[in-house]
Amino acid sequence: MKRFADWLNQPFARILHEGLGLSPNQVSGGSFVLSVLAALAVAGGRLHAGLGLMAMGQWLDGIDGAIARHYGLGSPRGERIDTLFDRASEAAIFLGFAWSGLAPIELVLLSLAAILLLTTLVERTGIDPGAKRVLLYGGLWFPYRVIFALIFLINLGGFVVSLFKADIQFQQRMDALTGDLDTIASRAARQEDAERARATRPQPGLRPWRS
Amino acid sequence: MTIITHVLATTLGVRALRLHGRQAVLAYVFGVGVDIDHLLKAPFYLRAVGLQRKKDYYWRSSLQEPIALLWIVPLSLYLRSWVPPLFFVVHVAMDYLVRYEKMPWYPYSTRVTRGILTALPDRVKEVALITLLVVGNLWIL
Repeated sequence: MKRFADWLNQPFARILHEGLGLSPNQVSGGSFVLSVLAALAVAGGRLHAGLGLMAMGQWLDGIDGAIARHYGLGSPRGERIDTLFDRASEAAIFLGFAWSGLAPIELVLLSLAAILLLTTLVERTGIDPGAKRVLLYGGLWFPYRVIFALIFLINLGGFVVSLFKADIQFQQRMDALTGDLDTIASRAARQEDAERARATRPQPGLRPWRS
Repeated sequence: MTIITHVLATTLGVRALRLHGRQAVLAYVFGVGVDIDHLLKAPFYLRAVGLQRKKDYYWRSSLQEPIALLWIVPLSLYLRSWVPPLFFVVHVAMDYLVRYEKMPWYPYSTRVTRGILTALPDRVKEVALITLLVVGNLWIL
């Protein structure tokens, strides 16, 4: 699916990267600016204009990844920046809906909290139902109270499943250990800590990255 | 703690707080129902141990650890009910009286604890608690 989207976005990626010299992070920034404009439009009562700007922002959001993958510019740091811009875009747009009165503020804040909770584990578990901004187009047919309730419940459910997936991974680690079962959790925890420390330790011979 | 102790504690809470309908259901779901994770862990037990009985197998999951408050509190706000966190905290507090290993903040932290009042034998704590809960339930009838 991602490969097909990249193929569709390739001409635009070429124009933005080769023609205008924009980096993936700058394109992510552009997507965020469009999201802020979308939020302002929605907050000002212009829902259709807001949804149109949001669509353009989401399209740009797809192109930044296409540029990164096509030109070999992808990095964990870039992925984190992309995620940061995504969450900031959602916050801006969601608050725009609350400001306009289309959705209750408490439901908007709960939806944002659920999305943030899910984001904290997505790198570890890979679980992300993708039910965020895209559901807002459903507001053309359904009340926004229902749409935000769905966003909240789907993302919170995703978080619960993510927690359980992490538990299962830890259970498999414990089951692979032998010896006293009464201390198995602490021994598996020490093993996980050691593995994480090894993974984050700088490798000898590699020079630290400088901007 | 055994499921009987959780049922007794939840029943006492439901009666004392005069909960009915949806609120009573929520109380039992978060006071007792969170033990369902033992069922979800059964396939792992069967794979690792088989059909024999093995003491001290790690049956817990984040579903009954304090970390679960991260989703229980927002859900309670959505449901506009204080019942889920209250009965969940009681469930967790009772489990933390037993001396087996627990990971309160996993997967955010690998810290392991054995809970509270660990100097007292588990059997003494459980019997004392069951007695108190039975008396409480009978007294409130």
